[in-house]
Amino acid sequence: MQRNLLGLLVLLLAGCVLLAGCTGSTPATNGTNQTGLKTKYIIGLDGAYPPYSFSEKDGSFTGFDVESARWIANKSGFEVEFQAVAWDGIIPALLAKKIDMVYSGMTITPERAAQVAFSKPYLKINQSIAIRSDSTITMDDIMAGKVVIGSQRGTTGEMWVQENLIDTGKMPAANLKSFDNFPLAITALTNKQVDATVYDKPPTVDVIAGKDAKILAEIDTNEQYGIAIRKEDTQLLNTMNHGLDQLMADPYWNELKTKYKLESI
Amino acid sequence: MDQTAFIINTLLPALWGGLVVTLGLIAFTAPFGVLIGAGVAVGRVYGSRPVQYLARAYVTFFKGTPLLLLLFILYFGLPSIGISLSPFVASVLGFIFCNSAYDSEYIRGSIRSIKEGQFTAGLALGMARTQVIRYVILPQALRRSIPGLVNEFVYLIKYSSLAYMVTVVELTGAGKMIATRYFTYNETFLVVGLVYLFLVTITTIGAHLLERRVAIPG
Repeated sequence: MQRNLLGLLVLLLAGCVLLAGCTGSTPATNGTNQTGLKTKYIIGLDGAYPPYSFSEKDGSFTGFDVESARWIANKSGFEVEFQAVAWDGIIPALLAKKIDMVYSGMTITPERAAQVAFSKPYLKINQSIAIRSDSTITMDDIMAGKVVIGSQRGTTGEMWVQENLIDTGKMPAANLKSFDNFPLAITALTNKQVDATVYDKPPTVDVIAGKDAKILAEIDTNEQYGIAIRKEDTQLLNTMNHGLDQLMADPYWNELKTKYKLESI
Repeated sequence: MDQTAFIINTLLPALWGGLVVTLGLIAFTAPFGVLIGAGVAVGRVYGSRPVQYLARAYVTFFKGTPLLLLLFILYFGLPSIGISLSPFVASVLGFIFCNSAYDSEYIRGSIRSIKEGQFTAGLALGMARTQVIRYVILPQALRRSIPGLVNEFVYLIKYSSLAYMVTVVELTGAGKMIATRYFTYNETFLVVGLVYLFLVTITTIGAHLLERRVAIPG
């Protein structure tokens, strides 16, 4: 009896290992068309990142970047599937081939560019600081490190706080509160759990709309968004660059910008 | 070489800060978890009807709510009714609710395992109900609960990592911060995992010693 049980256990274990092996080796996407491109790519995005990528009521994704990606995919002859990934793990997910690109308002930074390749820049933005509507906090208070700041983990907004306030010794590290997505940071702001947020300006404007918050200031970081792709996927990179060229030359580009209120930035 | 320097100069100091917070979360949670758990268990077994229902509702609610959801309600939800908790307090409260609900089940099982005759004998000797529970039943039941309580304590060590979701920079949160900043996911999470393993190992050894120490001779 004892031996039978042990045998069963070993068999079960072997089965698990085999199964794990199977799923582990399944590539994120398969099938290629005549141009050497795959027939389908998985696009990783932040699922709570309006106006670039956010979910609709039915659970599907939409937004400026989502619609841009659909347009490029359509022109280039491949399918896309969108997959929400936690922002602080999105580059590891790309490197681990769980997704094929990140097309979701990602700023091109030297640190990120050391890990992945970026397409040509397609949008230029700045950071912005949001505070509650009745708040009397000034930019001087922020720079003096006296304010509890909320940010999203792994974003350039958070990096700005780390580099300009914490690393310089102006602000104690405990004054920085990191959230998993930006709407949570704004919830904490209106709850008075943080007193300011630092985040890309267009999504800040979008998320605080109709809430008890306002923009205090814009920080001229002059960041540029690009599509992140694995360094070895040069063909995909070329395709996306070409697709961006086509899209930005098309009237649809300005339509999209107007639709998502990005024309004035 | 670069990696070693990174681990020693950057990673370990950051994780040390996180570890202190993790230990704080555990230290504030575990005693209350056992205390409330024991109270709830006694209430369910010996309480009056309303107390029994109340205790059962408590266990059902906190066992049935995902811990992460509970933390979100405590941290992001309560301010809408005017209660604003700090991230640390919200986390500890959530952990205590969860921990005590499970602890109560372990303790209740142990109470049930003590022979009814002991209770009757206690009463026959002129002890009050509360005295029998306090001096006869619980000392034995709690001893029998140790393996279960330790099991829950080990869970607590690991689920304390959920506090990072409400901005507490504990071990996992500190690790995530370093990992995203320096793109060192493998090294960071490997070290973080080893620290948790170390904490669990110490707990297991400690529990073994405790069990031997409080064992009833004979």
